[in-house]
Amino acid sequence: MIKMNNINKVYQTEMVQTHALRDFNLEVEQGEFIAVTGPSGSGKTTFLNIAGMLEPFSSGTYELDGIDVGKLNDNQRADLRNQKIGFIFQGFNLIPDLNLYENVEVPLRYRGIKSAERRKRIERCLELVGLGARAKHLPQQLSGGQQQRVAIARALAGEPRFLLADEPTGNLDSLMARQVMEILEEINREGATIVMVTHDPELARRAPRNIQVVDGQLADFSLYQGAPNKEQTAGDIAARAAEA
Amino acid sequence: MLELKPMINALLRSKIGAVLLLIQVAITLAIVSNAAFMISDRLTYLNQETGYDEEAIFSLSVSTFDPSINLVQQYAQDERDLRAIDGVIDAAMTNWMPLSGSGSSSSMHLVPNPEIGTGVRAAYFTTNEHMLNTLGAKLIEGRNFYPEEVVHADNYDKLPNTTIVTKDFAEELYPDGSALGKVLYQGEDAVEIIGIIDTIKGPWLNDSRPANVVIFPFNLSQPRAGFLVRTEPGKRAQVMAKVEELLLKSESRRVFYGIEGLDESKASYLARDTLVMRMLVVLIVVLVLVTALGIFGLTLFNISKRTKQIGTRRALGARKSAIVRYFLIENFLVAGLGLLIGAALAVLLGQQLMKVFSLPSLSFTFVLASAVFMLIMSLVAAWGPALRAAKVAPSIATRSI
Repeated sequence: MIKMNNINKVYQTEMVQTHALRDFNLEVEQGEFIAVTGPSGSGKTTFLNIAGMLEPFSSGTYELDGIDVGKLNDNQRADLRNQKIGFIFQGFNLIPDLNLYENVEVPLRYRGIKSAERRKRIERCLELVGLGARAKHLPQQLSGGQQQRVAIARALAGEPRFLLADEPTGNLDSLMARQVMEILEEINREGATIVMVTHDPELARRAPRNIQVVDGQLADFSLYQGAPNKEQTAGDIAARAAEA
Repeated sequence: MLELKPMINALLRSKIGAVLLLIQVAITLAIVSNAAFMISDRLTYLNQETGYDEEAIFSLSVSTFDPSINLVQQYAQDERDLRAIDGVIDAAMTNWMPLSGSGSSSSMHLVPNPEIGTGVRAAYFTTNEHMLNTLGAKLIEGRNFYPEEVVHADNYDKLPNTTIVTKDFAEELYPDGSALGKVLYQGEDAVEIIGIIDTIKGPWLNDSRPANVVIFPFNLSQPRAGFLVRTEPGKRAQVMAKVEELLLKSESRRVFYGIEGLDESKASYLARDTLVMRMLVVLIVVLVLVTALGIFGLTLFNISKRTKQIGTRRALGARKSAIVRYFLIENFLVAGLGLLIGAALAVLLGQQLMKVFSLPSLSFTFVLASAVFMLIMSLVAAWGPALRAAKVAPSIATRSI
């Protein structure tokens, strides 16, 4: 699904050069659910932006679903984002002047889906996140958890192969966070690939696979006992790193 | 791909800025279309054909203060002197100057006083057989005055009995046939129309009938008199420069003044109207600029307010062109509605102006043309900000602030 080879990302300002990602390598298989953890400034968000084609990388290759992203122009990247990726943002990023129905509709309109088909998908997705009855409400009339569920419905409406979640529970209390997480797990069971960036160890522990970004690189698991396995969590790695 | 419905819904949900802009656009259109119409009306007036070669004709006036001078003889001498100047085509003595704003007018009737009959008002010149040639007026029917028809006098004891009129006057007085050979009355005095000339304007361009002009063969020699002189092309300035000195040679006990080209007389007569028109032009330009700035500012404000939203839209698959289109269409909707309301306002304002200032009624073409112009202007004003919006990086969506 995702194949990143020696990805580098350098931010250049007049004074300094910042290496946000350094020879970053990652493969994600179809159907995986991965939690990406790491300290602030480690390059998590840069990784997410590059994975989601929200910003270009400086060197290396990135294949998404077999497509070499580096060779695409701006329009092609926009189209690919629209077709393959569902985004879930920390701040929900709903459009405040649009009601829930219209918010979920946004990516479908960009894809040029006909009105009847749009209606079907929007109603199904809002139903799925338990907000079918509130389609005419505006985002500000909803709680944070409900807003994030709308954002999930928006991400799902395009039936993406790949969901990118950026701290999806970062702005939610623990109860709402659990609800959102349950929805994500459900989606994953139905076959979607999910990459979730989070700094919440508990949340990360629930994901079948964990990776940690430190200083713009995947943390070198070989330092620790054995290769990372599915049970290994960011919290464990951090604890062991502290011991070492 | 057109997002009209959600766009309209979104506009309706946060409408204050849009409504303010809409009002501004509407008011601007109402004022601009009326001002443009008034400018066009003024321009027609300012650029009206006068019937003269204004750059070849000049006037001069004389004031004679010695009562012992025989004015009839002196003025005849002056005319001869003027015609003898190199470059002068012809010269004629006259009571008033065309296009100057000063003149005499009188009602000409089909029947003598006190009978009641049709009368038409006309400006009149008292002059002689050289006047037509001096003015460059074109005779359409009939003939010029014979020299012996011209009354040379310093009083009103004997009056002329012929006249030459403009076709405009002739058609108004005799709408159903030729006026040539007909008799008309100024009070009780009868004159026969012996010639009809093509349109020339009298002293007042702002008259409701500026081309109603009647010419009498009457060289009235009074202490104050005026002359019109026509020169060959390009020679007027040099003639004007030496004319005073030359005429003073034959008789120095008098003063010449008002040596002025016909185009100059016209310009000073029209100075106020020209000024009003220029002010209207400035008003329009300022109004349109202010509105354009308003549109520019509001679009820019909307964009900076919605940076996150734009980034999110880009992340969700909007191409740059879709973002540009979004803002242009949004602007088009607001401006379009403003223009519709503005068109209605323009018509209402036009009706009021017509009533209060007796202006001609506003032609809808002007409203339409102003609206189209303003629509284009609004798109141009929104274009830059919309392009800027398209440059918002999709990665804005993942920033937490």
